[in-house]
Amino acid sequence: MPFNRLVRTGLVGGIGVLFVALVGLMAKVADINLIGTQVTGAYTLLALVPFTVGYVAVRPRVVAGQIESFSTARSVRSGAVAGATAGALIAIAVLFTDRYGVDRVREVFIQVDPDLIELLSFGQSATVGAVILIVGGGALGAAGAGFRSLNPSQRRNLGMAVSVTLLMGLLQRIIPIMLVQLGLETDWLYSKVTGGLTWIGAAIVFAATWGASWFWARRGRTAKETIRTMTREQPGTRLVAGVALLALLAAVPWLVGSVISDVLGTVMVFMLLGLGLNIVVGYAGLLDLGYVAFFGFGAYATALLTGATLNTTTGSAAPALSLDLNFYIAIPIVVLLAAGVGVLIGGPVLRLRGDYLAIVTLGLGEIASILLASNWLTPLVGGPQGMRNVTDASIAGFSFRDPQHFFYLALAFVLMAVFLSWRLANSRIGRAWNAMREDEQVADAMGISTTRFKLLAFAMGGAVGSLGGALLAVKIGSLAPSSFEIIVSITALAVVILGGMGSIPGVVVGGLVLIGLPGLLREFEEFRLLIYGGALVSIMVLRPQGLVPNIRRSRELHEEDRSQDKWAGDLSADEQVAAPLTPLGEGSG
Amino acid sequence: MAPLLQIVGVQKHFGGLSALAGLDMHIDEGEIVSVIGPNGAGKSTLFNVITGLYAPDGGDILFRGESIVGLRPHQVAKLGIARTFQNVHLFPNMTVIENAMVGQHCRSSSGVFGSVLRLPSTRREEEQIRARAVQALDFFGSRLAGYRQEQTAFSLSYANRRRLEMARAMATDPTILMLDEPTAGMNPRETLELRDHIVRMRDEIGLTVLVIEHDMRVVKGVSTRVVALDYGQKIGEGTYEEVAHNERVIEAYLGTKAVG
Repeated sequence: MPFNRLVRTGLVGGIGVLFVALVGLMAKVADINLIGTQVTGAYTLLALVPFTVGYVAVRPRVVAGQIESFSTARSVRSGAVAGATAGALIAIAVLFTDRYGVDRVREVFIQVDPDLIELLSFGQSATVGAVILIVGGGALGAAGAGFRSLNPSQRRNLGMAVSVTLLMGLLQRIIPIMLVQLGLETDWLYSKVTGGLTWIGAAIVFAATWGASWFWARRGRTAKETIRTMTREQPGTRLVAGVALLALLAAVPWLVGSVISDVLGTVMVFMLLGLGLNIVVGYAGLLDLGYVAFFGFGAYATALLTGATLNTTTGSAAPALSLDLNFYIAIPIVVLLAAGVGVLIGGPVLRLRGDYLAIVTLGLGEIASILLASNWLTPLVGGPQGMRNVTDASIAGFSFRDPQHFFYLALAFVLMAVFLSWRLANSRIGRAWNAMREDEQVADAMGISTTRFKLLAFAMGGAVGSLGGALLAVKIGSLAPSSFEIIVSITALAVVILGGMGSIPGVVVGGLVLIGLPGLLREFEEFRLLIYGGALVSIMVLRPQGLVPNIRRSRELHEEDRSQDKWAGDLSADEQVAAPLTPLGEGSG
Repeated sequence: MAPLLQIVGVQKHFGGLSALAGLDMHIDEGEIVSVIGPNGAGKSTLFNVITGLYAPDGGDILFRGESIVGLRPHQVAKLGIARTFQNVHLFPNMTVIENAMVGQHCRSSSGVFGSVLRLPSTRREEEQIRARAVQALDFFGSRLAGYRQEQTAFSLSYANRRRLEMARAMATDPTILMLDEPTAGMNPRETLELRDHIVRMRDEIGLTVLVIEHDMRVVKGVSTRVVALDYGQKIGEGTYEEVAHNERVIEAYLGTKAVG
């Protein structure tokens, strides 16, 4: 392993830690006890970096046409060097701050304070802390390199067990609540004093995950296959499974309590946005960055149709134009109108493709948010002060404003949108969108009116997106233009991309990860965008097809591999044709 | 009887270059017309102008006596003129059967409500689309049959991609099928097989075929009439024998006789 490469990797890791410390994230997680009082968020973060650096530094690479291979001892040494380098960089920063004076450094980096220095020097003097950083970094780097030399199944089991244990520790606010709701004892697992896992609890979680991971690797495939054949051969089982799933979903709000139900409500609002945007971007391949327009339209149209009032400086006023319909009568109208708006927005951008389309839709989205806050539309939508008294969509006195009740309304909407997306994707229309996304000109030449199907995609996407807006209006009961800014478009797109474009389960998972996790970990609210960015970059690098990819889309992204195999593929296909023993019409599939 | 497709003085210029310089030709129902000519003679431009990908700069194109100039490509396809491309253009990530099913798009009409609610009529139509697509694929015998139909288009061999492109065009239920160098990249055996296929397209399915082809064995084997182009103009027309002995055609292919 060339020395300068190890150092470089180490420095990158060290810079990463410094960045996290300087933006204040490190101090933020310092007080979170994951396991006992020893494993805190800060120390986990601090340890994870040299470990990763060691792991990455010894990744295989090709030198002079051959894969470089080293003995385990040598790669462990290399990992130690990289890890120690990372530690050393942090150590230098700590020593510098100590000598130069915390207050003077703080003038530039406002998050640096004595607590942070104490944290990074482990409560010792700066010099001793620096030594610990370097030695500890080296040890962790060595461990990271050693981790790579484990065989893949050991690596997976161990990695899974560690991540699940840490995640359980991180979700200390949520899991105990659920256990208590189920009437289970939690003291063995979570300590009431530290808030995090107890050491015994952590050990049990670790062992259980290890066991499950080991078992899944051995039996998972057969288990999956059994389930698949069962559902295929007995339609009854599918129905039973569906009903069981619905029952489970129905129990969720009572299981998780009001706070988490509220987060899940937000998640489902964004799932609707994701599902709608998925039709436009994932199915039809039209990159729409102004999707917030539909969200805003749905919210405000619902408010206006159901008799909400404007906020004014003196109290409230009736909008210039409004109806007082029942929510469930208003919704179909809102959806149809939103589809119309989709056609209106789609019309001018029909001829644009790719980047140009993205820029123009971005502008249209901005126009929508500016209009909502404008003086011009104040008599209608209340301008910057917005609207209030939006309907709570109650049915016979059962109000959906309560987070636990709202969950059911949102669930019904999401299920409808999933059904719509799924049916559309597997139809003549989905096929036309697919063809159009793959090659617009050829699709046209094969008889698909691209104009029509682009407009249809915008209309369908707009209709689903407006459902999300209507839900939001019901959820919070008041509307302000600040909820309808460009960040909504970006978040919805991030949900779609993270989950996997064109994949319905992908949108669901993307919503849970991108909206649910930050919602649950409220203390990280101010770092939300940083975490989004990090998550998106990692996904793009590690898993470009998304978390739960659409099969077809994941193939597209491996276009290069394919062209490499082209000749090999051609040869084997021709051989198959030429083989005289293949009986006609009796394919092996 | 008026010809099925008539090209009247069609012009197409790219900058200073005349790809088509007042071309006149016609195709009668049930013919197999081969278009030949050296590279750059305007053959593919002719296809693009007929199918509406390019708008002609002058002249007119009549299908069953009515002008189709100015129609969008999908409208031309719906009228019954289907084509393949010189460089195969499939939907590579869709399966073979899906590719062929796209061809049936313009012969079906299910809308959003039918698709979402899966109405009986939609289901029936979807079955018809699939059956028609399978039928089009089965035209090529075992080549695109069975398990291959569920494979993605990109996983096919080169020759099979060409066959799939033809099947997709045939699945649009065209009157005229236009093939742009269908045998390019095929080995000699596959080329001969395709020659028979082109003849069968007319004899068994009743298609009128317009084919751009460089392989003279194929041209000779399939054509009821051959049209030779050069510099965007017709330089010869007639049976294969007539065109093969046409001085201007020979000149276009081989160059002028050296003097002295």
